Amino acid sequence: MEKRFELTASSEVLSPFRKELRHILNQAGWEKKSAEEILLAVDEALTNIIRHAYQGKSGKMAVTVGTSDDKIEIVLEDWGKKFDPTQVPSPELPRHKPGGLGVHFIRTIMDQMIYDDQDPEGNRLRLIKHRTKI
Amino acid sequence: MKIQSSNQGDIQVLELSGELDYHSSPELREKLTELTAKQAPKILVNLGGVDYMDSSGIATFVEAFQKAKRYQGRLILAALTSTVRGVFEIAKLDSIFEITATVAEAVECLGAKT
Repeated sequence: MEKRFELTASSEVLSPFRKELRHILNQAGWEKKSAEEILLAVDEALTNIIRHAYQGKSGKMAVTVGTSDDKIEIVLEDWGKKFDPTQVPSPELPRHKPGGLGVHFIRTIMDQMIYDDQDPEGNRLRLIKHRTKI
Repeated sequence: MKIQSSNQGDIQVLELSGELDYHSSPELREKLTELTAKQAPKILVNLGGVDYMDSSGIATFVEAFQKAKRYQGRLILAALTSTVRGVFEIAKLDSIFEITATVAEAVECLGAKT
């Protein structure tokens, strides 16, 4: 199953989108703990688009969610400033300063985080999680 | 997200409910900044009603915790749901913060004075 969402790059859309994604994860049979973690990873990726790609300016972002028996794949697209989260260094933990944990959460939760550096405009990030860790 | 402020003796209590994310965390930051600006000695945050939290929520607590520490204040987080506790664990911050299972335990730790 695949579903595409087109969203305004604004923090107000985060909660309603999580509700939609939570429903998809439940329908696909993900257990609660994993589902909540995937929600968190996608939420952090969307927050990064709002903060870093658009830097508070208006813009669009798209999320395509693909589910199958063995994995979930989420593709996030935006048309803002280039921001490659795979290049963000891992923080030293526990971090005593506020901030800098969003990409760490995505890395920890998802099995793969792939940034498409060939995209001529904006950013395209693929997040993949398998039901059983590969 | 909803934030209710109250006092229990000399403890400033913030009771949160709903979702704590990039959209709602500025409101919490404002409340905590008010408390740390007046150097509230004991702050208790009841997270029992929070069913979702992201890194913005964590950052808000780290900032308040550091500010309180500077004036020897204490900040205790109480009654975390399993989802919220999981976020602290991924950040490896569960050992840095003072976290209690219940609000009553937090009040006892802080030693409320009337």
